[in-house]
Amino acid sequence: MSDVVEKTLTALPGLLSLDSQPGSTKLSSSSKLGNLIRGITELTSKHEEEKLIQLELTSIKEQVSSPNTSMRQMKELMVRAIYCEMLGYESSFSYIHAIKLAQQGTALEKRVGYLAVSLFLNESHELLLLLVNTVLKDLQSTNLIEVCMALTVVSQMFPKDMIPAILPLVEEKLNHPKEIIRRKAVLALYKFYLIAPNQVQHIHNKFRKALCDKDPGVMTASLHIYLQLIEENPEGYKDLTTSFVTILKQVVGGKLPMDFNYHSVPAPWLQIQLLRILCLLGKNDQSTSEIMYEVLDESLRRAEINHNITYAILFECVKCIYTIHPKSELLEKAAKCIGNFVLSPKINLKYLGLKALTYVVQQDPKLALQHQMTIIECLDHPDLIIKRETLELLFRITNAQNVTVIVDKMLEFLRVNKDDYTTIDLVGKVAELAEKYPLM
Amino acid sequence: MMRFLLLFSRQGKLRLQKWFTPMTEREKKKITRDMTTMVLSRQPRSCNFLHWKDLKIIYKRYASLYFCLAIENQENELIALEVIHRYVELLDKYFGNVCELDIIFNFEKAYFILDEFLMGGEIQETSKQMVNRSIEASDMLQETMEEYMSKPAF
Repeated sequence: MSDVVEKTLTALPGLLSLDSQPGSTKLSSSSKLGNLIRGITELTSKHEEEKLIQLELTSIKEQVSSPNTSMRQMKELMVRAIYCEMLGYESSFSYIHAIKLAQQGTALEKRVGYLAVSLFLNESHELLLLLVNTVLKDLQSTNLIEVCMALTVVSQMFPKDMIPAILPLVEEKLNHPKEIIRRKAVLALYKFYLIAPNQVQHIHNKFRKALCDKDPGVMTASLHIYLQLIEENPEGYKDLTTSFVTILKQVVGGKLPMDFNYHSVPAPWLQIQLLRILCLLGKNDQSTSEIMYEVLDESLRRAEINHNITYAILFECVKCIYTIHPKSELLEKAAKCIGNFVLSPKINLKYLGLKALTYVVQQDPKLALQHQMTIIECLDHPDLIIKRETLELLFRITNAQNVTVIVDKMLEFLRVNKDDYTTIDLVGKVAELAEKYPLM
Repeated sequence: MMRFLLLFSRQGKLRLQKWFTPMTEREKKKITRDMTTMVLSRQPRSCNFLHWKDLKIIYKRYASLYFCLAIENQENELIALEVIHRYVELLDKYFGNVCELDIIFNFEKAYFILDEFLMGGEIQETSKQMVNRSIEASDMLQETMEEYMSKPAF
């Protein structure tokens, strides 16, 4: 097909389209990817699919190695290569070209190049080193979109040994006027912290700055790092408890911009991160826990609406209340919450209720007793997952009286269960119980 | 932390795969096979959470597409369900009444949206506007370039 005719044909759908949504590209009708996909869906057997894809891959291989292929065509070839890899056919010849595309292409080609790199390669791949130069160049570019793309790829995979080379550039981005770049820089640093914690020791005060950032997105990103840091060393961050409590208060009170609402719940993921952090900080520490009681009470109250996400927040709240230093009113309210979960007809909530009971039962065995009828019902539930959770719960409340019954139920479950991992787990539990109560 | 996200049709055809931890090709294939078999064999009224090895699998069906997300053991399952739902909402806002075909033919756009939303296994941006704006900015670049390139040359 001649060049000119092809150009007209590709322009036609855009000219004739009645709605110009930025989303759906109209090019799919004439693109080679569209043809490939349609070709595959028309085939009936796996063998034919293999043949077709192999043909496609040989053609792509030829085209990527030819010196005449423009970057634009390379972009299109990469998309098809990604598709073939997704279906399970290896196309490792295209990896190096993906890196080249990210290096030499213009903005949109770079985008596909980076996407291909993030999907094809992984951290231990040797070609990843070649990407470092490209990323370094893009981080210094004046085009913000290129900076964003570079930061995205850095957060997904980066060779550990090259971190010192790129660290100063990323740190500098923490002070960038655009909040999206600050946010991505924080996430890149989070990734660095996960793979090489000693390399980022010196910039902890910059994390504090990110925590107080005026953009809620940047602040949320910094919470990931803090959760990790606090998990490893809760003592070092107790002084931040008041800040976290204040932030949570503001979120629950609806002070964030409307953007962050998810089904009329303000920033639920942010709330959950904060609740997890507070949980870790308040554990075994009365004075710190006392700071949090008010805000936990408020969160419990606000999360009354009937939506999955509010139940998720309630679950985290309940977990937090039971981990930190106990306070009776909060414990009562939390117990009521768990009761509502377990008695709910919605199966997902039952599961969550059982999980919460398992967590709670060591501290408050009366709660399980209160709901024992429901628990027994759950034992005979048709869904294997609920059964398994119930057995997990029963394992915690086993005593000399009910051990025989419980072990019987576990053995019955083992007979129907097909999953190896669960079997090993349960057999271990049965053995433990047999050891503990030898006179059965 | 999330380990992987898979999208597949009711016949088990993979539409999208995102891995948040490095894995070999063999492992990826095995996991994909295991997931499709497990999820497709679930009864309609059972709960959306599964156990597999030491991970929890959260799945939800939207029309003809199954969304399957794997999280580590200490994560909150209901939140993961909402992550899936949020991703679907983002796709819906972007494509306008999204359907499986949109994801099939524009899978690289679905990947771009996913990358703006999740990063390294954690939620990156919870504001719908922000995610949309970033994608739209890059898209506008693309549209202008494509308009320019497709002007007839004769």
